[in-house]
Formats: sequence, C-alpha cells, structure tokens
Amino acid sequence: MMLEKEQKIAKQVERWDVFARLMPTAFLLTTMFLIVYGVIDFETAFYVGLVGFAVTAVVWWWWAIFTIRYLLVTLNRASKKLSEVNRDIKTVTTEIEALKNES
Amino acid sequence: MNLKQYAILKAVTNVISGFSMVTIICLGVAYLSFKNAFVFQDIKIEITNNPITAEKDIEFYMVGYKKHECNSTSVYGVAYAEDGSHSHRLDAFTKQYLRNVRPGEEVPNAWTMEVPADMREGGRYRVSMTGDFVCNYLIFTQEKSQTFDNILLIVDPRTK
Repeated sequence: MMLEKEQKIAKQVERWDVFARLMPTAFLLTTMFLIVYGVIDFETAFYVGLVGFAVTAVVWWWWAIFTIRYLLVTLNRASKKLSEVNRDIKTVTTEIEALKNES
Repeated sequence: MNLKQYAILKAVTNVISGFSMVTIICLGVAYLSFKNAFVFQDIKIEITNNPITAEKDIEFYMVGYKKHECNSTSVYGVAYAEDGSHSHRLDAFTKQYLRNVRPGEEVPNAWTMEVPADMREGGRYRVSMTGDFVCNYLIFTQEKSQTFDNILLIVDPRTK
C-alpha cells in the first residue's frame, strides 16, 4: 500500500516535470499561431494564459501540500519504526550479554 | 535513447521552457503596461480665444505627449452648459489638428471648431474633448479613448 502510494507520487512528480517542460513552449507556440491566423486576439490569449497560470498554481500548491504532508507522515513513521528497531537491538544486546555472563 | 541523450534532451527542453516562460511573462507585462497607459500624458487643452465673439470659431490649443504610436479615429467635443440645462456636440472642424504626432516628445497641437448653430444665444460652457485612437506597441494593437474635461468656453450671443 505504502509502496504503491510512493510510486504514485513518483509518477506525479514525473508528470509535473514533463508539464513544466512542455507547457510554456506549447502555450506560446499555440497562441502565436492562433494570433497570427486571426483566430484569437492578444487579449484572449492573455486571459487564457492568466487563467491557466492561476489554475496551475492552485493545483500545484494543493498537490505540494498533500504530498509534503504524506512525506512527513511517512518520515515520522519510519523514524518511529527505526527507534523501535534500535530499542529492540539494545534489548537483544543486553540479553545476549546477560546470557554470555551467565555462561 | 541512452542516458546521455536523455540528459541532453532534458537540458534542452529545460532551456526552451525557460525561454518560453520568460517570453510569456515579458509579453504579458508589456501588454498590461500598454493596455493601461493613457494615450496622452502631461496633457493640457484650453480654449485660447474666450470669450468667443460673434462669427469667430472656437480655438483650441493642446500640449501633451504620447507614449505610444497612436492614430486618432475620431475627435469630438461636448459643451455642457454650466447650469446643466443643455449640451452641444462640437464636431465641425474649421482647422484640423495635427494627426499622428510623434510619440515620446511634447508636440503642441491646435485646432479650430465651429460654434454650433443652436449655440447662438451664447453662455458659459464646460467642454469635454474626447479622442478615440488606435494604438500600436510592439505586436499589440489596442483601441483607446481619452477625454479631457472641464475646458471653459464662453460664447457671446451671436447676432445672425
């Protein structure tokens, strides 16, 4: 379950990476083409860009918040588990030493 | 595609994406600045021959400078009686104004307008001069309108 979620996040990061790489150029070229051929004017392109930028910013912000929260929870859980393992090792070490001393 | 080619492709797309983003932001800022700019700045319009005596035309004088390349499509005035009772449209030019003056420098401009026939009784008026323009800047074109209010006009009663 945990691994699945982490793989999902890794995929989402990859998708954001591709989006950030391609979207500005795709938007610029598409709007330039549409403006040159008179399909839209610059004002329309400007407002479409503004809305796209705002939507991307909001979606990215919430995605980042949820992902960071998930990573923090995972980190805390891992840290707790490591502490437990550490405590168990200490107990085992103490018991082994006790056994050694007895023998 | 091997790892090196993939790394090069990623770097190239990064650079192209960065340049696209910079271009989009620069164009957006330039457009907003152009869209919100007034046609004329440091503008002053006045009537130089108050009171307008019989058979004289109204002489306007204007100073101001344009930030962008703008061409006027229509210019007209509306004279509002000071008591608010009536108004007259001024759109008959007897001497034309300079059109398409250079942007970026202060160019004095002057024009003369006919006193409307129904203004014969004379009186004190406040004139609003309005200009409609088509402005160009870089790749942008925008229709703009600018009004200069409160120009005092005093018309003496006409005999004919």
